[in-house]
Amino acid sequence: MTSPSPGAAGPAGGSGGHAADDLLASYAGGAVDGVLAWSVEAHLTACAQCRSNLSAHVDSERLARNRSALLVRAAIGDGGRAHRLLRCCGVPDYLLRLLAATPSLRRSWLLSVMGVLAVVAGEAAAVGYGWIPGGGPAGPAGYPAPAVLAPFLLVAPLLVLAGVAAAFLPMFEPAYWLAVAAPFSGVRLLLVRAVSALTAALVPAVCAAFVLPGPGWLPAALLLPSLALCAFALAAATFVDPSAAAVIAGALWALPAALLLAATDVPLAIVQWHSQSACAAVLIASAVVLFVRRDRFQLGWMR
Amino acid sequence: MSMNEHTEAIRVDGVSRRYGATRALDEVGLTLERGITGLLGPNGAGKTTLLSILATVNEPDAGRVSVFGLDPCDGAERVEIRRRLGYLPQELGYHRHFTVAAFLDYVAILKEITDRRRRAEEVARVLAAIGLERYARKRIRALSGGMRQRLGIAQALLGNPDLLVLDEPTAGLDPEQRLRFRELLSDLPGDPVIVLSTHQADDIAAICPNVIVLLEGQVRFAGSPSGLAAAAGGQVWSADDRDHRAHLSWRGGDGRWRHVGDRPPADAELVAPTVEDGYLMLSHAAGVR
Repeated sequence: MTSPSPGAAGPAGGSGGHAADDLLASYAGGAVDGVLAWSVEAHLTACAQCRSNLSAHVDSERLARNRSALLVRAAIGDGGRAHRLLRCCGVPDYLLRLLAATPSLRRSWLLSVMGVLAVVAGEAAAVGYGWIPGGGPAGPAGYPAPAVLAPFLLVAPLLVLAGVAAAFLPMFEPAYWLAVAAPFSGVRLLLVRAVSALTAALVPAVCAAFVLPGPGWLPAALLLPSLALCAFALAAATFVDPSAAAVIAGALWALPAALLLAATDVPLAIVQWHSQSACAAVLIASAVVLFVRRDRFQLGWMR
Repeated sequence: MSMNEHTEAIRVDGVSRRYGATRALDEVGLTLERGITGLLGPNGAGKTTLLSILATVNEPDAGRVSVFGLDPCDGAERVEIRRRLGYLPQELGYHRHFTVAAFLDYVAILKEITDRRRRAEEVARVLAAIGLERYARKRIRALSGGMRQRLGIAQALLGNPDLLVLDEPTAGLDPEQRLRFRELLSDLPGDPVIVLSTHQADDIAAICPNVIVLLEGQVRFAGSPSGLAAAAGGQVWSADDRDHRAHLSWRGGDGRWRHVGDRPPADAELVAPTVEDGYLMLSHAAGVR
């Protein structure tokens, strides 16, 4: 680019203090960079004649295309504050759009989860701290009565499982057949959605666990059962119908959990080390199965 | 692109597909060339199953399919086919809370168009092609059935696919929209392979140089629309009164009866058969009612 740059008062290369014609042509073609481009723009804002001259160099088709693309971007929107924040944290824009189609990441779903957690955790806290009567016979030293925590411990991992199931079950993806016929990796789509839904449900569950009476490690002890449950459901979905896999996982949690919670001689057995070890084993085994059978997700997203 | 790809883009050899006791496809064999091919058949004839196999979302129980020389049963080749595919399923669901533009943006990402600017340009292009620019900001739940169908067609066009598989694309479109759809398909750049199923014989006659009639899971005709019409040659006649020897009769707008049957009377006033007449004769010969 050899054309002289226009000053605020006018470009040296043009006549009568106006931008040179070849400079305007280069600018319209997008061939002017950096300081020179800013200089041209500063001049154009103040000079009607140069703006008029510039329009002769503009490719009207390209202009119309750009205008349409801008209108489309405005129609798509930026996804609101949460999306802007996640973009600032480096999450790619296209992943956020994929997540917007995940029902368990929608506000209504998350509010419902928080509502259920608030009820079961609130009741446990109220009974545990003696604000309201109930809870049955007291547990061993340092532990509340098992009946106090039972509803929360039973429900919290199931809520996490429900969120993940809603992220991968075909019945929750209206455009399922488009997703299957698309080249975007089925495994990747599934994992992006499942991990996001898992995180979105785990955060309020763990936060709610902090208000419960009982040992301080309770919130952390909720993580493994929740992860194992979700991984098991995903792995089982490579063998059986996805809905059946989610139901089986839920039942496999609810039945033993109810029995363990009823055992008063072992306080909170469900989150003690032996149960945690079992959950870790299920998690690892499910992860291995998922990796080995990942093609099941690739063929159709879920079959 | 090989020469073979010009002449034979898709080959289906002895493909069968069962759903329980129902045989949806029975050793179907056909080849498809570049251009538009119409798939005609009654409900339950296997059209949707055949199209879903071509769109790689369904697998045959037996037989082989080759799309642009690629095998959909091979993982990597299946993805390669999907990169060149635009698919409109028969019952396309929508994220109803999405706007029209956001839905197309979502599908563009599934088609691996991850660059934000390119996506916006592509969405703008298909919106303009299908005449939905004004509705870009509208929520899908607020669209009429016909508009949703146009949105379905628009998403199939994203990425300028080389293979368009459209399952009943004109269902729900009003007459003007159907004409615009015909124009749109005729104007698509790059001479793609287009396979569409329809119950509208006039759509086939208007835009499809090739037509395949599928009856009870088997290909009963493959050729040109004029060839299909010729299948009813000498078997369509017009009369003032109903003729009970005909397989099918109806009174036209002029008050005269039009008859289709294989035994016209000797003094019958024969009329030129249409694609629909040819299709009716094939259906009748196959025992499909």
